[in-house]
Amino acid sequence: MTVVQLVVNGLLLGGVFALSALGFNIIYGVMRVVNLAHGDVVVIAAMVCALAFGALGLNPLVLLPVAVAGGFVLGAAIHRLLLRRLPAETASTEASSLTLTFGLSFFLAGGGLALFGGSFRSVPFLTGAFDVGGISIPQAKLLAFALALVLAAALAAFLRFTAAGCAIRATSQHLEGALACGVDIDRVRTLSYGLGTAVAAAAGALMSMIYNLNPQMGVQFTVNAFAVVVIGGLGSYAGCVLGALVLGLANAFTSYFVGASLAEAAPYVLFILVSLLMPSGLLGRRTA
Amino acid sequence: MSDDLLVVDDVTIAFGGVVALHGVSLTVRTGEVFCLIGPNGAGKTTLFNVISGLLRPSAGDVRFCGDSILGWPPHRIARAGIARTYQIVRPFSALSVLDNVAVGALAFTSSKREARLQAREIVEFVGLGAQASRRASTLTLTQRKRLEVARALALRPKLLLLDEVMAGLTPTEMDAMAEFILELGARGIGAVCGVEHVMRLVMRISHRIVVLDAGRCIAEGDPKSIQADARVIEAYLGAPVREAL
Amino acid sequence: MAFLIVAPHRLNGYFVNLIYITLVYVGLAYGWNIISGYAGYFSFGQITFFGLGAYATGFAINAFHVYWMLAALAGGILACAFAFPLGYVMLRLRGPFFAMGMFGMAQTVRVLITALPATGAGAGLFLPPGSDVTSVYYWTLAVALGAIALTIWIDRSAFGLRLQALREDEQVAGTLAVDVTRDKIAAFALSALIPGLLGGGFIYFLNYIEPDAAFSSRFDLQSIVMAILGGVGTVWGPLIGGVLMTQISEALWAKFPQFYLMLFGGLLVALLILLPHGIVPALKRRYE
Ligand SMILES: Nc1ncnc2c1ncn2[C@@H]1O[C@H](COP(=O)(O)OP(=O)(O)O)[C@@H](O)[C@H]1O
Ligand SMILES: [Mg+2]
Repeated sequence: MTVVQLVVNGLLLGGVFALSALGFNIIYGVMRVVNLAHGDVVVIAAMVCALAFGALGLNPLVLLPVAVAGGFVLGAAIHRLLLRRLPAETASTEASSLTLTFGLSFFLAGGGLALFGGSFRSVPFLTGAFDVGGISIPQAKLLAFALALVLAAALAAFLRFTAAGCAIRATSQHLEGALACGVDIDRVRTLSYGLGTAVAAAAGALMSMIYNLNPQMGVQFTVNAFAVVVIGGLGSYAGCVLGALVLGLANAFTSYFVGASLAEAAPYVLFILVSLLMPSGLLGRRTA
Repeated sequence: MSDDLLVVDDVTIAFGGVVALHGVSLTVRTGEVFCLIGPNGAGKTTLFNVISGLLRPSAGDVRFCGDSILGWPPHRIARAGIARTYQIVRPFSALSVLDNVAVGALAFTSSKREARLQAREIVEFVGLGAQASRRASTLTLTQRKRLEVARALALRPKLLLLDEVMAGLTPTEMDAMAEFILELGARGIGAVCGVEHVMRLVMRISHRIVVLDAGRCIAEGDPKSIQADARVIEAYLGAPVREAL
Repeated sequence: MAFLIVAPHRLNGYFVNLIYITLVYVGLAYGWNIISGYAGYFSFGQITFFGLGAYATGFAINAFHVYWMLAALAGGILACAFAFPLGYVMLRLRGPFFAMGMFGMAQTVRVLITALPATGAGAGLFLPPGSDVTSVYYWTLAVALGAIALTIWIDRSAFGLRLQALREDEQVAGTLAVDVTRDKIAAFALSALIPGLLGGGFIYFLNYIEPDAAFSSRFDLQSIVMAILGGVGTVWGPLIGGVLMTQISEALWAKFPQFYLMLFGGLLVALLILLPHGIVPALKRRYE
């Protein structure tokens, strides 16, 4: 029974991980930028939701569209004002964009700390649980899971059926090809960074219902997203979902069997092992 | 038999579904200019990658001076005497031209000074003397091609793999490159040139030619017999190129 | 130089501490610069070796009652020795994978040490009371000077040229007879020795160490920012960047402790955009 319960916990968690990782993956796919500020956006969105719930009684469902819009604007602004300004001739742009998002991560985490303080917050919303044959399914987790899937599906539809989504996919697959077809790469990048950040913020809004968070935990979500993407295979969106479920399960099982403090290391260990042993992930085509 | 420098024996390699090399065999002798011709995508670069140790074939063997070099790390193969250039030039952009070449010279000396001295000679030899202290990223394409050759020469190779060194050169520069390749033989260096077109030069400089098409050797022989080979003409040379011959 | 040697006897405690901290950062920045600046493997986890050096030193002092400098020397050597197998594995990763892999390594080691009762766990490892700041000061001065001397040697040696070659293009370096695996592991080990030795001094300075301080990602961030400010892969960059940045950092810490992280992250972002190559290359360009 415990095992079934752990599987359920893991899968529910995995859904939200998947959403967060999809955002990370879009940004990496289009820009080859490993966005180390990703998790900080997740956490800040969660903080804002927790505060809004406490002060105004707004529940995360109402805040979800706000989070998406706010995340998009933030991400687009970060790209326009910062990433785009990195000098093209910097010897290794990968290293400089990585370092830039590393700095950004500390900026956001530090900003969050200054604004919200270091205490843990969450949204006490839908705190009940369904009981299905002895397995407890917390309502908030189920809702977050379902919404994550809906958003992920919406994202997939956007990427597949709209012109902008098409441009994004083309650019991730072949930069020169997209350029040759007249895609405005600069706009696609701004759009992708905005979209990726919006998805992170949405994931944060959902996280606020199921996690107790403080502003310094962003790095864990970044590593989670990175680990998911590496497990699933860089550039593969289906791999993202699969990787997230694997990580969700790993998280649920290690927390139960070795304790929460050691479980903190699980995504790191998983990440290192997978990138060493399966550099192209479960479903990825590209190797690192 | 004893002057067989490089023996490629039935080498096969595939990328996913694409079989890039399909049972390719060839032998290069000391001091010989050996041309590997074939259209774009025939597998020339892939073969160079196999010989220089960047790719491992799924079947077959590569022997150099009698030893199987399969599975050797690239630096060991380079040290044994195989140097190569890259079709898509890959200079060490942030380093000076001189230091680019000195890296190769470090195979024989542990002194950076000494390596730079040797590099200086080679840089002069390939006509980059005036650019020696500039960053490699400031070179023109032609200069970068020469830098590729200079770096390879610094390894004092017994065998030089030249991947499309003619591409992008002006006719005069091509002639100069052809002279240079012929000179290698006089110094006892075997040369393998991967060439997509410029048949006029290929026919002039090569002792032997192998024609690759879609990963298979479709013909082998001296320039005369290759020109006469109906299959080659049909599969590869085609009408426009025949005019060029 | 003479000033640095007499400083502990002439200046008051505050300034001695300030110079000590500056020396630690300068040393860390030099250590990072070898693997990340010369060999091009950006690491976000060199602090692993600082922490290992500190803990190993603490153990040696407590278990064998040896003179602390001997223990610190052993700690440095241990960190360096650990870098060989670790480097052999981790240096197969590239770019962001290596950077994050090393970050994960630091976090994993931190989590493990926190979980082990033998290391004092989260509470920290305590030394017998009584430390001697002057001897730590000279130790750290010696290590920092040694790191500079080592960098000067690397910059002039064949080894340094091989590292630069593999930084620019590892495959090409390989086909030019550079034994890339051996050279990058050697660079990694040297890059580990310096923080290892500094960590040994640090535990003696504090008289105790806790996991969060020993494996602090903030330390890592700061030393990276310093090297970037001064100039990555240059001989004098880490010194100039380290000295400047420590003063800025201490001033920020004293004046705006609650905004410290945020300002520091912001500084890194601004630096990458405004002075991407760092001070030393900018000066070189001006005077060429
Ligand atoms: N790294 C690779 N991954 C996948 N396919 C490759 C790779 N390298 C070469 N190929 C394929 O192998 C074939 C031979 O390519 P190549 O050796 O570059 O030909 P050539 O140098 O003769 O133009 C081509 O079909 C090419 O697409
Ligand atoms: Mg080719």
